Amino acid sequence: MKSFDVVRFAGNALLQNRRRTLLSLLGVAIGATAVVFLTGLGEGARIFVLGEFQSLGTNLVIVIPGKTETHGHMSGAGGVPNDLTLQDARALERRLRGVQRVIPMTNASDVVSHRERRRQLGIIGTTRDFFLAQGLRAARGDLLPAAELDRGASVAVLGHKVAKELFRHEEAVGQTIRVGDARMRVIGVLESKGTQMGQDIDDTVFAPAATVMQLFNRTSLYRILVEFGAYADADVIKKRIIAVMIDRHDEEDVSCITQAAVLESLGGIIRTLTLAIGGIAAISLAVAGIGIMNVMLVSVSERTSEIGLLKALGARGAQVLAVFLTESVLLSTAGGVLGLLAGTGLLRLLTSFYPEVPATTPMWAVAGVLALAMSTGPIFGVVPAWRAMKLDPVTSLGRG
Amino acid sequence: MIRLESINRTYEMGEHELHALRDVSITIEDGEHIAIMGPSGSGKSTLLNILGCLDRPTAGQYAFDERTVAELDEDELAELRLYQIGFVFQSFHLIPRLDALANISLPMLFAGISPAERTRRGMEALNSVGLADWQTHRPSEMSGGQKQRIAIARAIVMRPRVLLADEPTGNLDSASGKQVLDLLCDLNQQGITLITVTHDPNVARLAHRVIVLADGEILRQVKGDEVSTLDALFSSRLQAQQAESELERTT
Repeated sequence: MKSFDVVRFAGNALLQNRRRTLLSLLGVAIGATAVVFLTGLGEGARIFVLGEFQSLGTNLVIVIPGKTETHGHMSGAGGVPNDLTLQDARALERRLRGVQRVIPMTNASDVVSHRERRRQLGIIGTTRDFFLAQGLRAARGDLLPAAELDRGASVAVLGHKVAKELFRHEEAVGQTIRVGDARMRVIGVLESKGTQMGQDIDDTVFAPAATVMQLFNRTSLYRILVEFGAYADADVIKKRIIAVMIDRHDEEDVSCITQAAVLESLGGIIRTLTLAIGGIAAISLAVAGIGIMNVMLVSVSERTSEIGLLKALGARGAQVLAVFLTESVLLSTAGGVLGLLAGTGLLRLLTSFYPEVPATTPMWAVAGVLALAMSTGPIFGVVPAWRAMKLDPVTSLGRG
Repeated sequence: MIRLESINRTYEMGEHELHALRDVSITIEDGEHIAIMGPSGSGKSTLLNILGCLDRPTAGQYAFDERTVAELDEDELAELRLYQIGFVFQSFHLIPRLDALANISLPMLFAGISPAERTRRGMEALNSVGLADWQTHRPSEMSGGQKQRIAIARAIVMRPRVLLADEPTGNLDSASGKQVLDLLCDLNQQGITLITVTHDPNVARLAHRVIVLADGEILRQVKGDEVSTLDALFSSRLQAQQAESELERTT
């Protein structure tokens, strides 16, 4: 019996009972849709989050205060690390070769007001380099001035939304805002940028690092970003940073995280989560497989007389097995393909509403769904097909 | 061509054993037309199933064309059924979802014959049973006689040497029955060995030889034209069967 004939014969048998075929096919299709849609969503989240981090550039080392050690506490006097100061940032800037930018960062939160309009906002203290490193541009006015690190002028750059909320239709640049008790002159408004690294840039006030530290009585930066050249080695830069910090603090009390490592670990976590979600969704494929088994068992029992006839006409046991197994495979494969199309369609629909989420099913999930759906057929179809093969022709014919 | 020696077929029925065939020995020559007769439960169908290699005897020797059937495995038996034996059933056994040509082509599917050759041979078989115009019709659109002729076309499409017919006219009116019988006799005259199980003396009369079974044993063998001599035998056995079942009902 040629393969094409087996497929045609099996397909013909499936078409005879269209409703039952459609229902069991739908079972597989729903399972496959769930896998495709959820893994697509997970992959979209991964690409989105990694994109956020990548916007900072991958040639970045983040220096944070405190040394994370294997026994889980931080070094420094009494377990408290030394402050990470603006002087540390300046020392890194001076002493590190192959480094493009050293960006100190401190943060705070306070009420920011202009006349009667006031909002509770996040305030980032940093330097002009922060904007350059993140590709942030001024829509109006200018970015923070390229002044000495420890000289803090009372100036501020506003995120797009902050300017809109506080100044409505007025021009913000040149006007004064009040941050807590201090007054700051607005020197620029940023272009709309959205969220980066979990920080809503549009809803943030930026001021010189020294100004923010003084205003909020901060003694330590919360991180220093070190951007190095494309050809520099991240590990070498890390070692040099630590060497400078040991030299300044007499102990290793900072941790250096490379952007590449963050991306890798974050990507790994999200991919694992995606796999887990996809795996849970795949259980529905197994349930659909049991549906196929049920349908095929009913089919074998309904077609007992037909099986007896096929044997009487000279069909070998293996040929009967092949026919029934092919029916299961056709059901599960068609369901898988249908689910793939439906899942992809749903993702397209989602991205048309939320274009910022690049939800797309990864190839491994497409291949996985198809392989899983196709194997559901033979796995769950083997018992009914085996039963058909083993039917006694005399008894089977008698049930006609 | 067919040789049965002391064939026994026993079925286990719980603690009891049912002897469907006892020491049946028959030799059937190539091209013969044999009718097997006997009351219900006499073992006719069991004998036909064994002759058709659908069932195996519990004891005894069956040789088909000098090949000992007991030594053949399942695949070899299937091959024997495919190429050497054709079946015609009382209830036609056509697959309802397939049209006439597809039903006829079924054995050719199992033989791996190409689609073009299947169509050619299928049409030839349809032609030979006088239903060339019915190739696309499904069984539900046909009369009983037409269905049986399609079943005969399917049985002969692989050009078997033996045709086994189990009550081939049992479900047909007399006109259709006659058409089917004529067709089967024609095939026999063309050289196919024909073995028919029947209750009908008019069907048996056409055979070269009639084998009469009772209680799983060969009661008698007569020539086809001597079937009328069996009438007395059948009526006395029928009376005995009726008395037996009456007794069972009252107890």
